[in-house]
Amino acid sequence: MMGPVDPALREALAKQFPDVFAAEGDLDPNGVVVPAALHVALAKTLKESFGFTLYVSVIATNFPTAEGETYEVATVLRNPTTAQPFWWRVRLGADPQLATLYPLFAGADWQEREQFDLVGVNFVDHPDMRRLMLSEDWEGFPLRKSYAIDTPHTPWR
Amino acid sequence: MNLRQRDRINPHLDLDTVDAAADLMALNMGPQHPSTHGVLRIKLFLDGEVIIKAVPYPGYLHRGVEKLCERLTCVQLTPIFDKHDYVAPMTNEQALNIALERMLGVEVPRRARYMRTILAELQRLASHLLWLGTFTLDIGGTIGGGASLMMYTFREREPILDVFEMLTGARFHYNTHQVGGNRHDIPDGWAAAVKTCMDQLAARMPEYEEQCVTNSVFLMRTKGIGVIETPLALELGLTGPNLRASGVDLDLRRDAPFHAYDEIKVNVAVSNGCDTHARFEVRIAEMYESIRIVRELIDNVPEGPICSLKPVRTVNQIKLPEGKQMYTAIETPRGELGTWLIGGGAEKGACPYRLKIRPPSLHAMAALPYALVGHTVSDVVAVLGSLDPIMGEVDR
Amino acid sequence: MAIDDGRSFEHPLYHYWENSPGGGIGLTTLDRLLMHSARHSLWFFPMATSCCAIEFMTAAASRVDLDQAGTIIRPTPRHCDVMVVAGTITVKMAPRVKKLWDQMPEPKWAIAMGSCAICGDFYRDIYSVVPGVDVIIPVDVYIPGCPPNADQVMVALQRLQEKIKLQLEGKFVERDLRPGTMIYPKIGTHGDARQSAEVAQAQLDGARGLGVGGKEHRVPRPAAVQAPPEADATSDSGEQS
Repeated sequence: MMGPVDPALREALAKQFPDVFAAEGDLDPNGVVVPAALHVALAKTLKESFGFTLYVSVIATNFPTAEGETYEVATVLRNPTTAQPFWWRVRLGADPQLATLYPLFAGADWQEREQFDLVGVNFVDHPDMRRLMLSEDWEGFPLRKSYAIDTPHTPWR
Repeated sequence: MNLRQRDRINPHLDLDTVDAAADLMALNMGPQHPSTHGVLRIKLFLDGEVIIKAVPYPGYLHRGVEKLCERLTCVQLTPIFDKHDYVAPMTNEQALNIALERMLGVEVPRRARYMRTILAELQRLASHLLWLGTFTLDIGGTIGGGASLMMYTFREREPILDVFEMLTGARFHYNTHQVGGNRHDIPDGWAAAVKTCMDQLAARMPEYEEQCVTNSVFLMRTKGIGVIETPLALELGLTGPNLRASGVDLDLRRDAPFHAYDEIKVNVAVSNGCDTHARFEVRIAEMYESIRIVRELIDNVPEGPICSLKPVRTVNQIKLPEGKQMYTAIETPRGELGTWLIGGGAEKGACPYRLKIRPPSLHAMAALPYALVGHTVSDVVAVLGSLDPIMGEVDR
Repeated sequence: MAIDDGRSFEHPLYHYWENSPGGGIGLTTLDRLLMHSARHSLWFFPMATSCCAIEFMTAAASRVDLDQAGTIIRPTPRHCDVMVVAGTITVKMAPRVKKLWDQMPEPKWAIAMGSCAICGDFYRDIYSVVPGVDVIIPVDVYIPGCPPNADQVMVALQRLQEKIKLQLEGKFVERDLRPGTMIYPKIGTHGDARQSAEVAQAQLDGARGLGVGGKEHRVPRPAAVQAPPEADATSDSGEQS
């Protein structure tokens, strides 16, 4: 469905982001890996120049490695005219910080709060970075691999 | 009062900047409220009866499903997926199984694809019927006459659930899909039962529609209420009927076909109203379209196998490739249900490493702070009902 | 007080009758009358959170029609006699459930509907889920199922009425136990070949007891399944209520 990135789109993006899209060979089928510094710029370009105006989702994932905790944040946008989705990934280190997309996409408000709540990725400059699903005084981030699934929570469980 | 920011409502309004902030009343609605469709809490800041800020607090049904998905194998996930969107479990199962099939590159036999299409459309009808009943109940109230339409729509929903029960043995939480196809083949007499059920519904739908659109109170309570402009709807990630009611012609059934939708024509209902009434119109039009699709397909289900893989015997029989990541989405009654799947988890890859569900209802809920401001308290339930959220899917 | 079991009705009228000559006889009769009335007009408070709520709504709607047993569903705790917990209770929701239960006037009863409310079901081991609502409030009747069919709500109502009747007659009422005596394996070890033989046997026995597994319980599907009868779909209970 998504498959490789549309060649025309890749060519157009390569002019603005040569480091990411002008590389040899096919792009990563799992999603292009973008440096964190280009995260907002790429979203802005896609929204304003290529019609990717529908905000689909943001997904943060915890990858514990031998060197320490790493995180990946994937963002999915969709072009409502062609229904083509586009996603890219940003790799983050042990202290995950990423610029928010809230000024571009109002829907990022809740989605980023949810990922902060469950995975613990901090979205910088977000206007309201509170927990969304769990109560305000919750300790820990459940979707990190180090969090035990049956963590007790007295007195309720 | 500066309620607006960037030409739209500011959901993070600082109440200290509001004139006469001392006169504001904070009203807590939910989590136990009959019209919040489950357990949603909304904090309303009121100037008289007019809402100047609305802060929803979801999460009262957060069941940690995404954590659970990392512990269960792909075979065990289908019944879990039934329970997110408990009004449309059939399409939820399909979302999961399509994600797994696309990641593994498994083909689905044509018969199974047709069956899935019919089941998806029947589920859309059942879901929209429940929405119609609860929406009118919210607007009319039990005493005000809203309950009468709810009784009718629940009556119409029952034959559809009977048809599902005939096929799968369960009224809901069917567990009838598996990777590569379906689990239960069509029993004798099923097509006739579906046709009877569709005939009844097709005969009665105009009556229900008329009950609403000829009622001046209903029109006053829906027209111009809860407007979500097109650019905002896109930014928020509204999908499905909510997006189409905001004037965007996007339907994954037609634009990114799955199941057997590439072999049939789907007429997509779009409205430019952007308000509560437009969302009502779009859903009603979708119900007529679903009846048409089911009637068209039910006699043309091709013969053949219903599953391309061997049936489920052990929980570990399906292994996901390690390190592969994928976003897959299908159109459910509520909109785009996507899954971000990362393969290669526990049990030697039989469990997903990470499974993020992209729920359409959560995005619809995020529109509430924008859609409610400027309206009165009584409009909250109308707007909420028209967005058709299911809290199981919002909170997961 | 006529019956001092903690479930009697507190009303100023009682004290008036108690102090008047011969009032005690009338008081027992009044107590009987009130208890009888309560039994046949149980108002339900829907603590409806998830999937079971839909089946509970179906029970209240046209086909099953809970109204025929004198029940009315009121979404405020202060009017109601029976709390129906339909759905998963999470850690965030649990204090609210407790508070709403405390707000209900005595005498009150609780029904746990569905396996999530009974024991937490799939979600029992998850960090945010309360494993069974009887952790928080005392439950009188359990309705097993995931979700239970709508008509099972009616069955539970009859069981509750029976319990109230026994209580009124002064008989000892045995406490309902949590259904399901299976030993649940921990999450992530379902069907695992490495799990102990004891757990596997218990699961098998449990499944046999419920009639959903094991060779001897596997009944062949009927060849021809009839279409739903016409009369059912045109039932006119919708108009009545």
